[in-house]
Amino acid sequence: MTISTAPGMTLPPVNKRLIGAAVAIALGMGAWFLLHSIGEEDVWAKTGLFIFILFFLLGSGVWVGLALMAVAYIGLDVFVPGIAGDRMLTTIWSSSSSWTLTALPLFIWMGEILFRTRLSEDMFRGLSPWMAGLPGGLLHTNVVGCTVFAAVSGSSAATLTTVGKMSIPELRRRGYPEFMTIGTLAGSATLGLMIPPSLTLIVYGVTINESITKLFIAGIVPGLVLATMFMGYCAAWYYLFPSQRPARDPGMSFSAKLWNSRFLIPVICLILAVIGSMYMGLATPTEAAAIGVLGALILAALQGSLNWQTFTESLMGATRTSAMIALILMGAAALAQSMGFTGLPRALAEWIASMDLSVFTLIAALTIFFIIIGCFLDGISSVVLTMAVIEPMVNIPAFQDLGFSMIWFGIFVVVVVEMAQITPPIGFNLFVLQGMIGKEIGYIAKTAIPMFLIMVLMVAILVMFPELATWLPETARSTPG
Amino acid sequence: MKLAADLLLDPLSFLLIACCLVGLALVLRFRAPRVLDGLYLAGGIAGALFLIAILVIILMNMSARWLLIPFPGSTDYAGYCMAASSCFALAYALNNGAHIRVNLVLGRLGSWRRYGEVWCYGVAALMALVFARYAVKTNIWSEKLNEISQGQDKTEIWIPQLSMTIGAILLALALIDHLVRLLVTDHDGVAKTALGEGEA
Repeated sequence: MTISTAPGMTLPPVNKRLIGAAVAIALGMGAWFLLHSIGEEDVWAKTGLFIFILFFLLGSGVWVGLALMAVAYIGLDVFVPGIAGDRMLTTIWSSSSSWTLTALPLFIWMGEILFRTRLSEDMFRGLSPWMAGLPGGLLHTNVVGCTVFAAVSGSSAATLTTVGKMSIPELRRRGYPEFMTIGTLAGSATLGLMIPPSLTLIVYGVTINESITKLFIAGIVPGLVLATMFMGYCAAWYYLFPSQRPARDPGMSFSAKLWNSRFLIPVICLILAVIGSMYMGLATPTEAAAIGVLGALILAALQGSLNWQTFTESLMGATRTSAMIALILMGAAALAQSMGFTGLPRALAEWIASMDLSVFTLIAALTIFFIIIGCFLDGISSVVLTMAVIEPMVNIPAFQDLGFSMIWFGIFVVVVVEMAQITPPIGFNLFVLQGMIGKEIGYIAKTAIPMFLIMVLMVAILVMFPELATWLPETARSTPG
Repeated sequence: MKLAADLLLDPLSFLLIACCLVGLALVLRFRAPRVLDGLYLAGGIAGALFLIAILVIILMNMSARWLLIPFPGSTDYAGYCMAASSCFALAYALNNGAHIRVNLVLGRLGSWRRYGEVWCYGVAALMALVFARYAVKTNIWSEKLNEISQGQDKTEIWIPQLSMTIGAILLALALIDHLVRLLVTDHDGVAKTALGEGEA
């Protein structure tokens, strides 16, 4: 995923490059005319070509947002000639100036502020005394640390870096096996996607018009269940491989433990305030995010890590990330509109319905589908790319009767997207970890296999007990305004 | 009839904008590169200021609700700031490698990488041009037809839409700038890609 030119790479002479560019232009124009020469009635050929261009552009490395927009524009131009651009822009404008979306940059900013505080050190220092006594020892700081940071940040890479920065060297120093340290970190960092605030869930909610508050609340219980299962994995290692157990840290008195976690307690209060205000119906997600930003700023100031530099860095970082997601969402909005004209989502939903699959077969098929897509795309892109097609497929009575609402489906998608974070060839957490510890991707992926299997188990549990995701949001009070 | 008019008019105005931007990118890149980089950064800063504006509007909205003072149209204003914040910063995000792309094939091209990059920047620049062209058109029409927001704010839509227009033009300019440099200099695309930061 890094752009690095090979050291010995020679530059082709300029005129050759221009010829190359001309060939590309000719190819593009050829495809354009081919697309327009297909007859009006040949919808399937058009749709096939449409999908092919989509994956060709994405695969060749065109920025996801612009690739989606390009395919949407081509599709619109083929199906509704003449006014494609105007229609597209109207959609893009209304999607990018939506009020629900404002929660996104604010939650990103909140995470960026806390990412730049001393939270990383405090997390380890504050958590380790409490975890040392558990079977599995300090490995639990990885899981619990990720869970806590996931609750202030919606990104799994930020979660991974914050927790790993301190816990990797500390666990190494104490002699914990590398395999366990890396594996648990790679796996539990994916909780950043599930535990609110979750950027993936915001994007999912905006894409299919579901309540973001409900989605957030729905993520809490499955997130905690998943974290518990990860902790169970640490404990299992402790009992199965007694020879690998490192020496215990000396115990601490209760007051010493409290003193060590003095910086962690305000963070936990902030988390409770943000999630609680949404759950109690006191604030919309956007308002909760605004409280979160304010709280994070106060926290950073109290800690002494807030200065002009960290403030501007966090602000500019948040601006960049939200612009990136906004571009993808613009492309996705245009693509969803364009897809509507192709009739593909409806045709596919009817086809699936005609096959009379059981709900469980369909879910299994979708799981595999998302894992494959997730091997090549990041979570947000895979959600926006597929939801226009998948929503009519699953938003049907047969699903809802079994308790699989669209809220439940959001949580399901997040778990599967989480898996994709730790599967090669494109698993973002693997890349981040590689950058941090400099081991081979293959080795890191191997350490994460048990975590991957735990997540497969999580999908099964979610299917068997859909109430895990749907129960808590029903008890939440509706938000004002 | 309408189609014919579109075919005649659209490519012309499109080419006009494209030529202007290519010219601008060329002249600025080789005469005053600082101006160009400054433009992208200015877009980023404008985006950041609008992000702060979102925060301020929402905090005001909350306090207004608790104090029972009406603040009509606050959600619409926050939405406009959202659009402005993301659109202005598009080019800045590109220049900092924040935009996500699939590097699987590109990374394996070896010495052919430059051609791959030319293709990517070419397609992207073309699309950004289309985006910018229609953003300008939509913006002009909103002004001409005097479109007013449906919400309580009653804003004339063309004013907030300016942010999208300017942002789209900046993005097109940035992509063209990179494409031109890829074609005639040693430049090999944006310095880094989103790894970690851009991921969510």
